[in-house]
Amino acid sequence: MSSVILRNVNKSYGNLPIVKNLNLEVKDGEFVVLVGPSGCGKSTTLRMVAGLEDITQGEIQIGDRAINDLPPHKRNIAMVFQNYALYPHMSVRENIVFGLKKSGADAETIKQRLADVSEMLKLNDYLDRKPADLSGGQRQRVAMGRALARDADVYLFDEPLSNLDAKLRHHMRTEIARIQHQYNMTAIYVTHDQIEAMTLGDRVVVMRDGIVEQVGTPMDIYLQPTNTFVATFIGSPAMNLIEAKIEGDDLVFDHYRIPATKIANVDMHDLSSHDTVLVGIRPDFFEDSALSSPSDNLFEFNEIQVDLVENLGFDKEIMFKLGGEDAKARLDLRSHVKRQEHISLSVDLNRVLLFDTSPQGMLINAGEV
Amino acid sequence: MSSILVKNEAKLGLKLVAPAVGIIGLLVIYPILFNIYLSFFDVQLNGDKTFVGLDNYTDLLGNPRYYHSVGVSIVYLIGTVIGTTVLGLAAAVLMNQEFRFRNLARGLILLPYFAPVISVVFGWQFIFDPVNGIYNHVVVDVLHLTDTRENLIGNPDSALFVVILFDIWKHFPIAYLLLLAKLQSVPKDLYEAAAIDGQNAWGRFWHVTLPELRFVIATVVLLRIIWNLNRFEDVYLLAPNVETLPIFTYYQAFAGIVDQGGAAAISVIQLLVLVGLIWLYVRKVLKW
Repeated sequence: MSSVILRNVNKSYGNLPIVKNLNLEVKDGEFVVLVGPSGCGKSTTLRMVAGLEDITQGEIQIGDRAINDLPPHKRNIAMVFQNYALYPHMSVRENIVFGLKKSGADAETIKQRLADVSEMLKLNDYLDRKPADLSGGQRQRVAMGRALARDADVYLFDEPLSNLDAKLRHHMRTEIARIQHQYNMTAIYVTHDQIEAMTLGDRVVVMRDGIVEQVGTPMDIYLQPTNTFVATFIGSPAMNLIEAKIEGDDLVFDHYRIPATKIANVDMHDLSSHDTVLVGIRPDFFEDSALSSPSDNLFEFNEIQVDLVENLGFDKEIMFKLGGEDAKARLDLRSHVKRQEHISLSVDLNRVLLFDTSPQGMLINAGEV
Repeated sequence: MSSILVKNEAKLGLKLVAPAVGIIGLLVIYPILFNIYLSFFDVQLNGDKTFVGLDNYTDLLGNPRYYHSVGVSIVYLIGTVIGTTVLGLAAAVLMNQEFRFRNLARGLILLPYFAPVISVVFGWQFIFDPVNGIYNHVVVDVLHLTDTRENLIGNPDSALFVVILFDIWKHFPIAYLLLLAKLQSVPKDLYEAAAIDGQNAWGRFWHVTLPELRFVIATVVLLRIIWNLNRFEDVYLLAPNVETLPIFTYYQAFAGIVDQGGAAAISVIQLLVLVGLIWLYVRKVLKW
C-alpha cells in the first residue's frame, strides 16, 4: 500500500481544459471517492493516476515514486472498470490470476490468493466458467476479484457499480466497504452516485467542470457544503435554497422573519454587508410541528399549503412553496399530512445554512456544527 | 403459431428459395455430377466416350507429374496462406493506430486487391525481366550481390516463389480487411485492463489482440486455403511453368495430349479435399 499525491495536475484536450489545477493527497490506507456530475473530470483524474491518460501538467506520485512518465504496466496499480473488461477467452480463474502471474508471484501465493478472493467474493462455483456465461453481478465480482488478487499499491474503481440493478448495487457497495477496511487498501473510487460517495468514502472529493469544489468527510460535506453546488449535489432530495432579504437581524421572505442571531456561526457584522442571502434547508431537517418537541431554537413555518405528498414507506416527501419556489421536506411516517392541507413545519436553526448570492453561492456561516 | 400458419410459411419459403436452388443446381450441381461421371470414361475431343472404370484414377496415381504438382501446390499454399495472413495482420494492426491520413492509407492498401490481374501480372513480369527488369538492376548493378542476371520467372523453381510473392501482395488486403474489421470491435478497455495487469505492448497483443482475432484468423486461413487450392489465373498468367494442381489439370484437359477423363479424375480428388476443408469450416470455425 502507498499514498497517492496529485500536485497541480492539469489535463486538457487541445485547448479544452478537462481537469484544472487539481491537488489531492490520498493517505496510505485511505478510501477517497471522487464524485461529480458527468463531464466533471473525475474519471479523467482516475485514468491519469492509472496511466491511461497522460498528464498535461503537474505531478502524480504513488508512495515516493513520481509516476508521470511510467506506463500503466509499471505503476503497480489495480483497477476495476465500469464495463468490467474481463478477458473473454479466459475462465474466471484465469482472469483473476492473470495480473498476479505477470507480477511474478510464485505458484503457492497465486493459489492462496485465488482461494482467498474466490471465497470472499463467493466465486467458487464459477471458477471454470467464461465471462460470457456469467450474469452482470457475477462479472462485476470477477472484476473485483481480479483487482483484489493483486498486491497493488493503489486500487482504482471507475464507476464499478453503475451497471448493476439497485439491489445488487447496494449489496456490492457494502462488500466493497467491508473488503476495503479488511485489507486497509489505498483506494480511489469514482462515481456520480452521491449515496456511494457518502457511504464508501473516508473522504469525498466533489468535482465540477474540472475543479475540486470541496474535499472532506461525508458528514462535513453534508453539513457544511462550501457552496450551493455542493449543497444541492450532495443529499437527496436536494437542499432547498430560498432567497431572503436582510432586514436588521432578520432574514425575510414570504411572511416569515427568521432571527439570524439564532442561526449557528453567523457573524452579524459580516451578514449586514449583504442585501440578500440564500437560506439553505435540507428537506431532512424539516419536522411536522405537530410532532416536534418544543425548543427555543426551532423556527416554525406556519400556514404551509401541501401541494403534493409522495409516500415512500417510512418516509414521505411533501412539496410546497417557500419564497415563491418549489420546496421539499422529508417527514417520517408519524406525520399524516394530506394534499392541499395547511400545516406547520419546524426547523432547527442550528441546521440552517446561509449562502451569498454570488454565482458561486459561497457558504457564509461556516464553522463547527 | 398454429400448425396451418407454420405449413403455409414453409410452403412460401420453398417457393422463395426455388429459383436460387434451380440456378445453383444448373450451374454447380450438374457440372460436378457430370465431372464425376466423366472421370470414369476415356473422353475424345469429338465427344466419344469409352467406359474405363477406375483406370483414370490408377493412371493418375502412377503419374509422377501428378505428385510433383501436388508438391508444388502444397508449397504454394503454405507460402501464400502464411504470407497473406501475417502481412494482413501486420497491416491491420498498423492501420488500427491513430495517425494522419489514416483513412487514405487504409484505402490505398486495398489497391492490389482491386487491380485487374492481367495488368498487374505484366507489371510483375517486367519487374523480373532478366534484361530490363528493376529486380536484376538492383541486385546486380546497384547492390552487386551477384554477377549473373537471373530469369526468376523463366526457371520453374524460382518462379514458384515469385508466384507466391505475387499472391501475397495481391491478396493480403482481403486478410487485412477482415482482420481490421474485427480489430476495430475489440473493446478498448480490454487493452487498458491488460496494461494495468502489467502487460506491455507485446503482451497486450499476445493476450488480447490474438485471442480476440482467432476466429477471424482461422476464417482467413481456411478461406485462403480453399481459394488458393483452386487459384488458376494468377499463376497461369504470371508463370505458366509453375504447375500447381489447377494448372496441371488444365494441361491434362486442354493442352498437348488431351485427356479430359484424366483431368476430370484430378478434379474429383481435389473436390474431395475441398469438401473436407469446407466441412471443417462449417463445423469448427463457424462454431467458435
